[in-house]
Amino acid sequence: MNKVMSNKWMIAIYILPALLLVGILIFIPLILTAYYGLMDWNGIGAMEFIGLENYINAIQDKNFWDSALHSFLLAIFSTLSLAIYLAVSMILASKIKGADFLRKIYLIPMLLSSVAIAQLWIKVFNPTNGILNRILLFFGVEKPPIWLANPDIVLYAIFIPILWQYAGFYILIYYAALKNIPNSLIEAAKIDGASPIQIAYKIKLPLIMGVVKVTIVLAIVGSLKYFDLIYVMTGGGPNGASEVMASYMYKLAFSTNDFGYGSAIGFLLLIITLIVTVIIRRLTANDEEVQY
Amino acid sequence: MKKKAITTLLSLAFILLALVGCSGAEESNSASDGEKTIEFMHLWPEGSSAKHNKIVSDIVADFESQNEGITVDVEVLSNEQYKDKIKVLATSDELPDVGLTWAAGYLKPYVEAGQFAPLDDLLEGELADSFVSGTTEPYAIDGSTYGLPLELNVANIFYNKAIFEEYGLEAPETYEDLKNVITTLKENEVAPIALGNKDSWTGSMWYMYFADRIGGSEALTKAISGDGSFEDPALVKAAEKVQELADMGAFIRGTNGISDQEAKSMFMNEQAAMYLIATWDLPNYTTNEQVPQEFRDSVGYFKFPTVNGNGDKDSFVGGPGVGMFVAENSDVKAEAKEFVSFFIKEWGEKSVKEAGVIPATKVDAESMELPQMYVNVLNDLNNASNLTLFADVQMNPDAAQVHLDQIQALFGGEVTPEQFAEAHEEALSKQE
Amino acid sequence: MNRLGYIILYLCLGVVAVFQILPIIWLFLFSLKGNREIFAGSPFALPKEWKWENYLKVWEGGIGTYFFNSVWITVVAIVFTSLFASMATFAITRMQWKFNKFVLGLFMVGLMIPIHSSIIPLFSMFLNVGLIDNPWSIVITYTGYNLPITMMILLGFYYTLPREIEEAAVIDGCSIHRMFFRIILPMTTPVLSTIVIINMIYNWNEFVFVNTFISSDKYKTLTVGIQNFIGQYMTDWGAIGATLVISLLPILIAFIFFSNKVVEGISSSAVKG
Repeated sequence: MNKVMSNKWMIAIYILPALLLVGILIFIPLILTAYYGLMDWNGIGAMEFIGLENYINAIQDKNFWDSALHSFLLAIFSTLSLAIYLAVSMILASKIKGADFLRKIYLIPMLLSSVAIAQLWIKVFNPTNGILNRILLFFGVEKPPIWLANPDIVLYAIFIPILWQYAGFYILIYYAALKNIPNSLIEAAKIDGASPIQIAYKIKLPLIMGVVKVTIVLAIVGSLKYFDLIYVMTGGGPNGASEVMASYMYKLAFSTNDFGYGSAIGFLLLIITLIVTVIIRRLTANDEEVQY
Repeated sequence: MKKKAITTLLSLAFILLALVGCSGAEESNSASDGEKTIEFMHLWPEGSSAKHNKIVSDIVADFESQNEGITVDVEVLSNEQYKDKIKVLATSDELPDVGLTWAAGYLKPYVEAGQFAPLDDLLEGELADSFVSGTTEPYAIDGSTYGLPLELNVANIFYNKAIFEEYGLEAPETYEDLKNVITTLKENEVAPIALGNKDSWTGSMWYMYFADRIGGSEALTKAISGDGSFEDPALVKAAEKVQELADMGAFIRGTNGISDQEAKSMFMNEQAAMYLIATWDLPNYTTNEQVPQEFRDSVGYFKFPTVNGNGDKDSFVGGPGVGMFVAENSDVKAEAKEFVSFFIKEWGEKSVKEAGVIPATKVDAESMELPQMYVNVLNDLNNASNLTLFADVQMNPDAAQVHLDQIQALFGGEVTPEQFAEAHEEALSKQE
Repeated sequence: MNRLGYIILYLCLGVVAVFQILPIIWLFLFSLKGNREIFAGSPFALPKEWKWENYLKVWEGGIGTYFFNSVWITVVAIVFTSLFASMATFAITRMQWKFNKFVLGLFMVGLMIPIHSSIIPLFSMFLNVGLIDNPWSIVITYTGYNLPITMMILLGFYYTLPREIEEAAVIDGCSIHRMFFRIILPMTTPVLSTIVIINMIYNWNEFVFVNTFISSDKYKTLTVGIQNFIGQYMTDWGAIGATLVISLLPILIAFIFFSNKVVEGISSSAVKG
């Protein structure tokens, strides 16, 4: 057994295609990003080496930390939402009537491209014609909020479509994991007289804990580098109120010609994400079988 | 077992080789015998800018038929994607032979990096005296011109005559008049001004006009160039006026969260009475068949009003739109320049007649049958005392970003006019 | 659970389902309107005049080539990603070697790079090997950039596969390849269907890489078709809606197909397991 499963040649064949692709396509750009971060470079002319200046500036840059805070908030909300997605998946994976049909419908929004989702929610949030404010007006709210223009609200308003957009992704993963649980275990629990909620909490949840942990990491990493809807719906505005790390980096690199500085921010984004991920994995890896 | 391993590895290597192989073959094709190819990138896709797109195709076809052995390879992207792609191409010094650029602050880094070729020979030679005066200057750096403009845009306030008539209003001459108009419209629950300040260059035009009317045509330009200051009382006053309008509810609700596109739609759906925009929008109010005739007939425009008797109404905010550049390291530079020269000559009349563009080159307006609104705008331009280039175009990209963010803050009431001025001074001082 | 509980549950599920289906209806109505109606009217109002010409416009814009490119690029990238990710996950979780945790860590770091900081380095790399304006640059990029997330999803499932399977296979004298392709891969069909769905959505809707690496019209994909209707000063939203609907249909069909596989796969693997 051990001899077959530790054959160096075999390991190389199985790991190398993926490793080479990731190495070339992701790690080389990553190293280059860190390197460009050491340069004073507008992306067009000549580079000038300036050491750690960009990184030091970034650490003192209030706009960067504001955007980092916004990204962290998104990460927290995304992680908390996982509980809801999980609950929905449990219902859909149980043997209630029509679950299969409902599941397909629930996953439809994830098929839409960001362009479509952004357009839809821009129309939902429009202060005068939008669906949301029309409903609020109908219920007698005198001055419904100006969702995307109020700097105190915009960030939370824009989280809603993001969380909605990703719901399908996590439900899909949870659903597959739940369906993977052998039926015999659940039947046994039923015979013992466990209620559906007990089964969910005491049997199903522990069995898919590995998958749940993966989704926590995915939610956090995905949130910290999130870009799409924010860029289309608010462009990070008004006046930076909905700026996140990735949109700030994009602005620096592509709009204001600070490619060196933007690269430094991009690399810091990665470092921050890495630190957060390591902490999260330490926190969640409490059982004896540390899996990943 | 080893055999299998080796075959797997070999097949992978084969795939990679095949990939590189076919690309290599293609590249040698394009650079073959005598045939010359000019790469040209522009931002008028067929779907959204059919008329621009057709003019370009026509000019390209004419050029190709008159120049045997030269083909023009056209790549079209949408505005945003175009800007991003040019940026990426520039990092590898791989710009297309001919492309479109914006003036002043946008152009500068490309010129400093030596990526754009000077076009003075064209400007002094074949194209001498072709341009409306003042349109090529924003494309000049240290005495050389690196881009040749295609459009000329000036901003005016467009208004819905039908709405104005309904409430007995007239096009305002002064700021006081404008405020009265706004008050009346508000009393009748009509949104006075459509403004999509999510894009913030839109709000910037309001600030710029106030700066011009209160401080004269030089104040803002000097503040940006560093010869003056944003803390100049006239410029602070201009910011105050913007907030005064915002506070009285002159602009549509939530303007900071609304894009220019959405704001324009509100104006065009008669949900707002006024809309400040540049002349690129003229076709929507004159010739665009997709817009109902009834609406087009009801749109008029007026020049930005004077403020407290100050200001010259013939001074405009605007300037040249996109211009053509030739890449310095182009393999076919001579041919590319020839193409640009040919293009500019053909563009002027075609663009105004077929696409409703106000071109940056001189055209004989009398000889063409143009809608009245065009005749008026062209007359305005002939009598213009000054043209102030859009502030965010004048500034370098860093300062422009601060300006645009501050404009949103100003409209949103998050900063005082004094803080607004201070932030600008700080941003501009960093650039010296 | 009692009757009332079920009624409330179905009511809630039903309400959510309606909300999830509305966007599709909205998109369809959107695609049949002109700019004026799109911005002014209620999003769910029926179009005053049904602008089927939006679809005609999109069709005449030469969407056929884009469509074909989208399909083959998406499919090829999915095959590569699923295969390579499964192989690597298999090696990391089931085979015994020293650096497996470290290599896994490397793949996880690959999750964290924001794509906008990799575009410029990637562009210059592809330029050097002559892969700019070559559709394979897109296939390779999609494969590579989806590998980390695909592996993360696979991991949780591979860890739960019982060890006894391999032991039995090894005792039977089964080669690694046979074990992987004949036993492990079929057992992971449900999660494979899941990652196919996820990869499909990512590849199908991606446009930043296509816009940057591809110049020739003949290699562009459907998402670029949308760009065709975004203008410098004016955008044709109705046509964008039509493009979105056209590009949604195939993915919707494929989704329903693979979505069924998620369930089917389980039952068949349950028999084997």
